[in-house]
Amino acid sequence: MKTSTLIEFLAKDAGPAPRAVTARRLWPVAALGLLLSVAMAIAVIGPVPARLMSEPGMWLKMVYALALAVSGGWLVSRLARPVARVRAPRAVVFGLVLLMAVVGAVSLGLEPEGQRMLALMGHSALTCPWSVFALSLPALAGSFWALRGLAPTDLRRAGAAAGVFSGAVGALGYSLTCTELSPAFVVVWYSAGIAAVGLLGAWLGPRLLRW
Amino acid sequence: MVDNDRPSDFEARLRQLWLRAHAGDDSAYRDCLGLMARRLRGYLRRRMQSLPDDVEDLVQETLLALHLQRGTYDPSIPVNAWMLAIARHKLVDLWRRRGRRERLHVTIDDVDDLALTAPAADEGAALRDLGKLLETLPHAQQQAIVLTKLEGLSVAEASKRTGVSESAIKVQVHRGLKRLALLVKGD
Repeated sequence: MKTSTLIEFLAKDAGPAPRAVTARRLWPVAALGLLLSVAMAIAVIGPVPARLMSEPGMWLKMVYALALAVSGGWLVSRLARPVARVRAPRAVVFGLVLLMAVVGAVSLGLEPEGQRMLALMGHSALTCPWSVFALSLPALAGSFWALRGLAPTDLRRAGAAAGVFSGAVGALGYSLTCTELSPAFVVVWYSAGIAAVGLLGAWLGPRLLRW
Repeated sequence: MVDNDRPSDFEARLRQLWLRAHAGDDSAYRDCLGLMARRLRGYLRRRMQSLPDDVEDLVQETLLALHLQRGTYDPSIPVNAWMLAIARHKLVDLWRRRGRRERLHVTIDDVDDLALTAPAADEGAALRDLGKLLETLPHAQQQAIVLTKLEGLSVAEASKRTGVSESAIKVQVHRGLKRLALLVKGD
């Protein structure tokens, strides 16, 4: 087939371009990923005692994870297109982590000297990142599916963004079952879990996202 | 003529056609794809000096890809940059398939290759025949594409002829083109 024939062929009855292609793929993935993460967390680990829900530390975790999921999703939707403009969403993602680090550091400074190690390590420092990691896998699979139908051209960064987004979704599910209340704990161990999923995404991106 | 355009004029012309095509103007879309094909040919010919016979195939592959992905165009970005990002992606993929990664590092700046579209404006021969590949698609997809795209029936007429709903015809066309893009990549 000649190229001029191909052009006739593509333009014939092409109609208007499809709209909102990234949103149409990413929203269902976000909803389903979150649902699975919450369901798995509640089923396997179990919800926190109801009295903890009145603690500000509980809400801080959820808000941190939710804000990272939203800005991570924004970043993914940008990297799903050729010529991605990532500056604003990337600044928000890093800004959130930085802000949380400051809150964590201040809260640690306010603890009495002997309590600081406990505030940082809690009682679940070693399991928390792995739980976040495991709970984020449905969202990671979903966001890779979404990206495979779109047009990312920077595959490593697109994969990393999908990882951060999925990690935050996993962290949001995990936050409902986690009894730690110290901000320092959250910024270190939640972020570690999310970053691990980001690294996995960056590794998988160039392998799975070619089109 | 395109050949004498400065980059900003080229972008202005391309963008005007592209936005009309985006809103559903098929004849603007045809003109736009024609303009893009010339530009892509120059861009790729320049970068594929060791594989001149593959240029036209990659032009076609890129056109097919940018048709399938036209929904991902962001109006805040120049159309030319968007198109070349897809072409570059396809080129990287071609080098990877051929195991010649290192060749990428000899590419020269994008700045002046608009001028080089002039000698490249004539259409080279494609080695791969998309018409033949089309025949390997599943029957429903192939039929929908042949009727609406090659025989020139409207979607409504194709629907009447086959007894399949109009939306199903559109879906089959889109799936068929997607599959075609995969076949093109695989060979």
